[in-house]
Amino acid sequence: MAEIKLSNVRKSFGPVDVIKGIDLQADHGEFVVFVGPSGCGKSTLLRMICGLEGISSGQLLIGGEDMSSVEASDRGTAMVFQSYALYPHMTVAQNMSFGLRMAKIPKIEIDARVNKAAEILQIKHLLERKPKEMSGGQRQRVAIGRAIVREPKVFLFDEPLSNLDAELRVQMRVELSRLHHEIGATMIYVTHDQVEAMTMADKIVVLRDGLVEQIGSPLELYTRPDNKFVAGFIGSPHMNFMDAEAVHIDDGFASVAVIGAADRLITVPLRPDALVHKGQKVSVGIRPEHLLGTVGRSDLEVHVGVVENLGGMAYAYCTSKSGQEVILKSESEAPPRFGTTVTAELNDNYCHLFDSEGKTLSESAGAVRRQDAAA
Amino acid sequence: MTDMTSYPVPPKPRHTTFYSRNKLVITPLLFIAPAFAMFSLFVIYPIIQSISLSFYEWQGIGPKKWVGFNNYDLLFKDPVFWKALVNNIYWLVLFLLAPVLGLIIALFLNQKVFGIRLVKSLFFFPFVVSQIVVGLVFTWFYDPAFGLIAALIEPLGLKLPSILASEDWATFGVIIAGLWPQTAYCMILYLTGLNSVNPEMIEAARLDGARGWRLLVNIVLPQLRAATFIAIVVTVIGALRSFDLVAIMTEGGPYNSSNVLAFYMYDNAIFRYRMGYAASIATILFLIMDVYIVWFLMRLLKNEKGSR
Repeated sequence: MAEIKLSNVRKSFGPVDVIKGIDLQADHGEFVVFVGPSGCGKSTLLRMICGLEGISSGQLLIGGEDMSSVEASDRGTAMVFQSYALYPHMTVAQNMSFGLRMAKIPKIEIDARVNKAAEILQIKHLLERKPKEMSGGQRQRVAIGRAIVREPKVFLFDEPLSNLDAELRVQMRVELSRLHHEIGATMIYVTHDQVEAMTMADKIVVLRDGLVEQIGSPLELYTRPDNKFVAGFIGSPHMNFMDAEAVHIDDGFASVAVIGAADRLITVPLRPDALVHKGQKVSVGIRPEHLLGTVGRSDLEVHVGVVENLGGMAYAYCTSKSGQEVILKSESEAPPRFGTTVTAELNDNYCHLFDSEGKTLSESAGAVRRQDAAA
Repeated sequence: MTDMTSYPVPPKPRHTTFYSRNKLVITPLLFIAPAFAMFSLFVIYPIIQSISLSFYEWQGIGPKKWVGFNNYDLLFKDPVFWKALVNNIYWLVLFLLAPVLGLIIALFLNQKVFGIRLVKSLFFFPFVVSQIVVGLVFTWFYDPAFGLIAALIEPLGLKLPSILASEDWATFGVIIAGLWPQTAYCMILYLTGLNSVNPEMIEAARLDGARGWRLLVNIVLPQLRAATFIAIVVTVIGALRSFDLVAIMTEGGPYNSSNVLAFYMYDNAIFRYRMGYAASIATILFLIMDVYIVWFLMRLLKNEKGSR
């Protein structure tokens, strides 16, 4: 069993605090993804788990053992680096077996493990090649193979796909997910790509400035973000935010008026602990797919700018009368046209409310739907 | 009816000059020409001249006298020549400490600490200083009366022998002086090499359980192959052509005990007016270096092919 537990883990480089107290648990066999903007400390946190970076304070448990001061090679972790970090003077087989040779494991077992890993990754025909004779995708596989042969309790990935081209990235993404099911080990994966996070993770950890913003399953984060940052970070294109004012509060519901569409009140359920008063400035968040561009209704009028038609769907980048940027999603067959004015139809059920500090006030659409289903 | 097939009219050849047609051959030749002319005049011609001179007896002025292989005959019977050759071998072997020491210092200096750039430049300093100055400084170090080493060991009750005046120690004293700038040079080569080592690779090796010596031998040194190659090449050539330190520190003495081929050649040519004899020493030195340079070039070509 190899669950990972971080308790109040901190890291400072001199006077600069990079990780400011993180509590986190990854269960055995879980695929945990750290996401966040660059400089949020996600890579540092990963390096602290594998031992390349010391822990200033706090506790790190791997499989119930305190690993805070254990040597990197003895923590039972294996890391796949962004640059692959293969040894250029060694063949693929030598690259993969280096760690085992350092650990003085019998040669027969080394060969068996290398062969098995090569089979899983379909690189058996490359074993005698040098890294420079291979493509990026192949090198990536070797880097993963080097991690597999060590049979670690925990796999750590530091933005492993960011050096690959778009098509290969999708392919490797699927393959990594398959690998996770096959091996069943705990994996921690760092990325700034929220598509990778959404598609691969059992659990996403959103980090910002060395602090955890929210931990949850991809869908939880998508439908029930704890704050405006998570709401904006998860999802592509990002969630639309519009300034609004609370007009009416009643029995756990708040009615707000979006600036520029004052006659259309949006009513959303509030979280039990949310405090909203009349006249409070709030922010309404709604995802592009929940905004429909129609003509002639009295919702939010927007002016259509650039339209990106992706074939399966289209995104229109619009501006409201009050100058707020709004992205609409629409069917690809009849997207809004550049330069026209359309009405963005707001679906109350999918609106989120945030206070001026970014804290979520509203109960999420997903939660509402669950309640509906229960009733 | 049979003439109905129409052939396309071949396009009229465009007017081209001889140069435009052979640009790819001529341009490189034009670029090489100046360097080749200089190299021929100042390197190849003197080499040929020296070799031919080694078959003559000549005082530097006056008529030359053809003596065939007589100079070489004399040379091989000359004990000073053999002494100088053996000393050159000492130089060669001991000078190979320079890459080793350079690597050790480079590994030590290859860290990000405040002020490390200043420390690095201080370590590089001896390479910038003229060999003449290095020679003078070390001569003073070794001075048994007021030198630094004597002053350092005096409180311990030890007395420094006169190193440069000793037949047994003079060569080694000079070699140690020569090692100082040579080590600095190798250190710079290794520092540059270390700069290009991917730090993630070192981290990967650490995770693979390689530490200290095993990390150095298995991961770091193979990355420094190019630097090692150049360091050894430059060091060996430096050892074979060692001259200025010998000239400034001992002038080959005492009793030729610290003589080397390059200085013996200079001595014969400039002070004894035995131009032919000096040319024959130069030719021997040239042949020794040739063997080495051919090996060097073959390695270089092989490496270049390998990297493609």
